[in-house]
Amino acid sequence: MTANYKLDSMIELRKFLWNELKTRNIFDEENYWSDNLDENIIPIVPVQQSPEMNQFLSGKKHIVYDKIGISYEDNWAICCEQILFTIYSTDFSEINEVRNFMTDQFRRMDESARDVNKWSGLSDKFKFHSIFVADISPTAPSEELQGFFAADVILEVKYSRIMDQAGRFL
Amino acid sequence: MLIQAASGLERLMGGSKGNSLKDSTVAQISAYLYYNAHVISRLTTNKQFQSKFSELIFNQIDKDFGQYIDSLARTRPKSLHHVYEWGKTGNKSARLFDLNLGSQDGLSFKISYSFKPSVSFVPASSKFTRRHVFTNKASIMEEGRSLTISPKHSERLVFEADGETVFMPIGKSVTVKRPGGTASRNQFSLAHGRFFSGQLVNNSIKKSGFQQMFNRSMAKALSLPSNIKKVQYSFSPNIIRGQADASLAAAFGGVL
Repeated sequence: MTANYKLDSMIELRKFLWNELKTRNIFDEENYWSDNLDENIIPIVPVQQSPEMNQFLSGKKHIVYDKIGISYEDNWAICCEQILFTIYSTDFSEINEVRNFMTDQFRRMDESARDVNKWSGLSDKFKFHSIFVADISPTAPSEELQGFFAADVILEVKYSRIMDQAGRFL
Repeated sequence: MLIQAASGLERLMGGSKGNSLKDSTVAQISAYLYYNAHVISRLTTNKQFQSKFSELIFNQIDKDFGQYIDSLARTRPKSLHHVYEWGKTGNKSARLFDLNLGSQDGLSFKISYSFKPSVSFVPASSKFTRRHVFTNKASIMEEGRSLTISPKHSERLVFEADGETVFMPIGKSVTVKRPGGTASRNQFSLAHGRFFSGQLVNNSIKKSGFQQMFNRSMAKALSLPSNIKKVQYSFSPNIIRGQADASLAAAFGGVL
């Protein structure tokens, strides 16, 4: 059986993060309805899609993410990734709210990983081992988006893909 | 300090003299401590070890810092486009910055950064036949310095601004106040400061594998020579010092 190589830990983490942000009323998904697509758009976008989303997200709170690095060390079963999330909002306090939530949710290493593993929406092909906040920047006016404030949160994530007996992805 | 303290053991290793107690256990334990003290104290002065130490850590920091800047640049191109070749912001192979391993004092070393010259042509409309390279793009834009462009190979400057072709009077120059835009000034320096003053550099050091390398080599260097394992009433400090040096050289390589 061929593994699904389209699965990605960063996408799984993004799904979890969006679910938490909605559940805790930090984001209101109704604000992100797209008439063109006839569906809600998740305002956590990869940096590669950021330019095309600029118009839609104009003036709206959103998060842009990018993978900084990915490495397997001596233990090839465990992958280590660093992910950069940049939070944008025109409201200073909204940025702090998202940043503080992410800090609270993701600073506890194996406890944070356990929360993600317990979430029913997670693909059964992943097991997270540890998530922690590697860096947080202060909130400052954004140089990229006029009128927005921005803050960065960098997460370091350790996880495994579920494997067969030969160590290949399932 | 450690060597000084260990020198007190030499008397106990030397067997009995006068009223001293003649005891092989005391001599052997003293020799054991003397050997360990010499291995540990000579470690930080071992050039090969210092070089391995700094190289291992620097290589990891260099890799992580580069990836960090690439990612930041992709997320905020207006702020960091200037430290990449034109149109290749966030691309590893187009970086115009380098980290440099500087002077070393014991196990401390300095890391600095420098900007590389740009080698690609400044983007221009295809109707212009002459192309130019803005060599010091990264450093000038980072410093936010203004730039004066004068005609060099022809009598006047011709360029495009807002879709219009502008013909400057013969010999006249143009001053660009902020060649990289207002957003790029000092942004690389800020990102560099953030990486090196926060948790990111510590994570990088941890990831370097230095601890594993150190532990493996140290365990090898500290393994006792066979003569110290044998029951004796007297041990030669000179021989033990030589054995400590040889053992360190074998564990970390090179001459002490």
